[in-house]
Amino acid sequence: MAQMTSETHDPPGAEADAPGPHRRRLRMVTVIATFGGLLFGYDTGVINGALPYMAEDLGLTAFTEGLVTSSLLLGAALGAMLGGRLSDRRGRRKNILMLAVLFFVGALACTFAPNTAIMVVARFVLGIAVGGASVTVPTYLAEVSPAERRGRIVTQNELMIVSGQLLAFTFNAGIAAVAGDAADVWRWMLVVATLPAVALWLGMLVMPESPRWLASKDRFADALTVLKQVRTAQRAETEMGEVKQLAMEDKQSQTGGWSDLATPWIRKLVLIGVGIAVIQQITGVNSIMYYGTQILTDAGFDTNSALAANIANGVISVLATFVGIYLLGKVNRRPMLLIGQLGTTSALLLIGVFSLVLPEGEPRAYVILSLTVTFLAFQQGSISPVTWLMLSEIFPLKLRGFGFGLAGLTLWLTNFLVGLTFPIMVAALSISTTFFVFVGLGVLAIAFVAKFVPETRGRSLEVLEQELHARFSNRPERTMA
Amino acid sequence: MTVAVAVTDSAEGIAALASAHAEARLRGSGLLIANLRLHPLDDAEIPRDVETRIVEREPGAEVGDHVLRLLDDHRDEVELLVIGMKRRSPVGKLILGSLTQELLLGADVPVLAVKTP
Repeated sequence: MAQMTSETHDPPGAEADAPGPHRRRLRMVTVIATFGGLLFGYDTGVINGALPYMAEDLGLTAFTEGLVTSSLLLGAALGAMLGGRLSDRRGRRKNILMLAVLFFVGALACTFAPNTAIMVVARFVLGIAVGGASVTVPTYLAEVSPAERRGRIVTQNELMIVSGQLLAFTFNAGIAAVAGDAADVWRWMLVVATLPAVALWLGMLVMPESPRWLASKDRFADALTVLKQVRTAQRAETEMGEVKQLAMEDKQSQTGGWSDLATPWIRKLVLIGVGIAVIQQITGVNSIMYYGTQILTDAGFDTNSALAANIANGVISVLATFVGIYLLGKVNRRPMLLIGQLGTTSALLLIGVFSLVLPEGEPRAYVILSLTVTFLAFQQGSISPVTWLMLSEIFPLKLRGFGFGLAGLTLWLTNFLVGLTFPIMVAALSISTTFFVFVGLGVLAIAFVAKFVPETRGRSLEVLEQELHARFSNRPERTMA
Repeated sequence: MTVAVAVTDSAEGIAALASAHAEARLRGSGLLIANLRLHPLDDAEIPRDVETRIVEREPGAEVGDHVLRLLDDHRDEVELLVIGMKRRSPVGKLILGSLTQELLLGADVPVLAVKTP
């Protein structure tokens, strides 16, 4: 995976871009590629409202509910691994075109799945597209964008995902309100996801390949042609040097591998990266993003009210992500992460407590809703954006491909485990006990961050590398060359 | 002629570099350093009194292959390979393999394996 190189430092010649037709072209590229992020969000979020109907129609148990939800995430883990490699080999554009087809086919297969087994397979296939998009779309966007906007791409991707989820929650509620009595209402919810897939495919047909990828294949003339489409003519010329430099850095980022884990300080660093990936998911955020409607039904809403109330979860996620992007520029990473964790863990504790003490009914439902909203404000406003950014900052250049890839894989697998086990735990332990389990995990995660995670804000990669080296190795600090 | 040395990011790597340096001076030959770290060598670590060349790792190549390829590329001049070694647990070797073993078995030149003092 190459997308996390050079996002954090400003290259020379990053003066503001002049207006012109290239601006419109660049905006088009951004809008089209954004459909990839939206699809990611829609396809993961749609299960939330579809599940209650699907469970009835297909006769799902707690275990098969978990399986239908989480097979997509296992597919995503695979897609993230393959996607990075494929887009390095065959190009970002070709890869996104292929992903659009996979998004379309996967959504259609889910829509027409006659039984649970086929549904699980179809969700797995759809997951491969989701995972591929999770690495290829941000890479493409970062490589096409001018340097001064590149820094925001990592978090903007998060914004697209939560917007896709909000869209899914809204469509779910709308479709259920119109056709709530039909047995196959969930199929209508799923089929909507084919539309942005078609838009993505058609749009990408006329979009240019990434200039940095072209440069990495020594196709410098082609790279310049693309740059001239999305920059002023003058700036395109001056930027070619930078593009070549970044393409070389991307190659360098693939140097490290498993064998480097023999070095103690690198082993510790990679373990911290993997830990950061785990703590983002172990809050249980996706239990709410996937099972929010059921949690709200369980608390006392009827299905239609729960679907409508769940939109609040989507709205707060989008708003909080805006706040998160703003805060990242102002606040240090470590305190922001710790406060986010305190917020989510407290909200979960209160959900568990109120589920125990309040009788089932509308008052309890509103209390739970306000707490899931609070939870998501802390998660999407702090934990999610901070952890993504930290993962892009923590690894030294030559280890970045390996470290980021391993952390990304861990993130999907943790997401998979939460998605799979949540309904099973609720059935076996009750909803309050399940949330107490997440509270316990949250406390462990807070201890992990407090003890091990370093501050990465406002430090050059070189300085950070030196500090980490000194901190995690028994030998004295390297003298600076 | 040249003494080749594999410098890892560890105390053994530093010991190997010191032995290789001493050996090069003794033989009046040059030093060919395979840097296996993820960062460049410190200036202070690079010997000034013998002719020294440093080869960095290529993206995507395993460290063992990197050293063996270097030996192959300079097969006419390399007379000795110096490596550092340390005690490894069986589990550690199972998971990560052993660079020492790979180089001892794979190198076509005499190998000097040094331990930390």
